[in-house]
Amino acid sequence: MKNLINFIIKYFSWFVFIFYVAISCMLLFRNNPYQHHVYLTSANSICSAVYGTINNVTSYFHLHEINEDLHNRNAMLEMEVINLRNELESVKLMLPDTTTIAGTNHDFEFILAHVISNSISQPQNYITINRGSADGIAPEMGVVDQNGVVGIVNVVGPHSARVISLLNPMFRLSCKVKGSNFFGSLVWDGKDARHALLEEMPRHVKFEKGDTIVTSGYSSVFPEGLIVGTIVEQLKDMNDNFFSLRVALSTDFTQLSTVRAIKNNRQAELQQLEEEKASGKEAKK
Amino acid sequence: MIKTILQFIMLYVVLTLLQVVCNHICIFGVAIPIVYIYFIIRLPINLSVNWAMTLAFLMGLTIDVFSNTQGMNALACVIAAALRRPVFSLYFAREDDLPNPIPSIQTLGIGIYIKYLLSMVLVFCFLIFAIQAFTLHNLQLTLLRIVASTILSTLLIFGIDSLDTKREKRL
Repeated sequence: MKNLINFIIKYFSWFVFIFYVAISCMLLFRNNPYQHHVYLTSANSICSAVYGTINNVTSYFHLHEINEDLHNRNAMLEMEVINLRNELESVKLMLPDTTTIAGTNHDFEFILAHVISNSISQPQNYITINRGSADGIAPEMGVVDQNGVVGIVNVVGPHSARVISLLNPMFRLSCKVKGSNFFGSLVWDGKDARHALLEEMPRHVKFEKGDTIVTSGYSSVFPEGLIVGTIVEQLKDMNDNFFSLRVALSTDFTQLSTVRAIKNNRQAELQQLEEEKASGKEAKK
Repeated sequence: MIKTILQFIMLYVVLTLLQVVCNHICIFGVAIPIVYIYFIIRLPINLSVNWAMTLAFLMGLTIDVFSNTQGMNALACVIAAALRRPVFSLYFAREDDLPNPIPSIQTLGIGIYIKYLLSMVLVFCFLIFAIQAFTLHNLQLTLLRIVASTILSTLLIFGIDSLDTKREKRL
C-alpha cells in the first residue's frame, strides 16, 4: 500500500497529464457534431455576446457588395413575379372556375438572422447566428442566404445557434442538376471555400460546364430548387459506376452577413409519417 | 502574489479576445496566427507542471469553445505545457538564478528568450496542425502551414511582448 501511494505521488504529474489528454481526446474524437453540448459550442451565451460585439464593428465592411447582391436578387425576383403574374392571368382566362388554383400552401417560412461568427479555414467549419430557440430556430433547419444554400442548424441556444456550414465534410446535401432528375450528394472536400464536389452522379449522363446545381428537395430540410452552384468540371470518381462534378458554390462564404433559416411547417408531419412507416415495418417483421 | 494572479487573469481574457479576432485571419491560405500560446509561455517557470497543465487545458478549452474545434486546442495546450520545462532547460540550465520566475526579455536576455519563444511556438504549431491534419495525407501543405504559422505567430507574440514590457517600464 505504501509503495502504491509513493508510486502515485512520484508520478502524479503523469496522471494529471494523462487525465487532461484523455478528456481532450474524448472531445476531439466524439465525431458526431450533433451530440455536442450547447455549452461547448459557440452557441452559448458568452460566445454569442463576444461575437455579437465584434460583428457590430465588422458587419459594415462588406456592405457595398452585399447591397449589390441584394439589388440583383431583387431585380430577378421582381422579373419572376411579373412573369408569373402574366402567366397566372392567362391561365385564369382559360379556366371557367378559378377556385381550383386559388388554394395556396405555405409549407416554408423564413426566419431572418445575422451571422456573428464564421470560419472558412478550418477542416470543419461552423457558423454562429444571432437567433436561437426564443426566435423559433430549431435543430435541423436549413439555412440559406440571398445567393444560395449556407448550411443546416445544429446546436441551438436561447439567443444564438450554431450552423454546420456547407464547408464541413460532415454535411452532405442532396442536389440535382437543374432541369434533370439525376441527383447526387454535395460534399466539401476541404480544399477551398469556393468549391465543393457533387458525388455519386450516374456515369452515362453528360453534363455541360456552367449547368446550375439545385437542391433536390428529397429531405424536408430544404425546399426543392434552391440554387447551390454551377458545374466547373467533371472528375472521375474512384468508384467506376459514378463520377463526381466539381461545383463552384454560389454562396460567398467569405462575406456571409444576413441569412435565413427555413422553417418547414410540414416537417413534423413528414417525420411522424416516416416514423409510422418505420414502426409499421418493424411490426410486420 | 495576488497582483501576479490578476495580471495572468487579464492576460487570459485579452489573449482569448485577441485569438477570437485572429481566427478570421488566414494569410495566403497557410499562415494562421496563434497568439494565445503566449499565456503558456509567460507562466512562471517555477510553477508546478500540474498547475501549468491545468491552466493550459482551461485556456485551450476556452479557445475550442469559441472556434468550435472540440478538444483540438486543449490537447495541444496540455502537451505544450508538459513540454515547457524541458524546452526551457535546453536553453537555460540554472533555473534558481532567475531574479523573476516569469520568462521575459529582462529576466532571460533577448537571445535565450527568442530561442525559447520560437521553440515553444514551433512545438505548438506542429501539435495543432498535426492534430488538425491527423492523417498527414497532405504532408507538404501541413509542413508549409506549420512553418508559416510559426513565423507569423512568433512575430505577433513578439509585438504583444514589446507592448507588455513597455508598460512595465512605465509603471
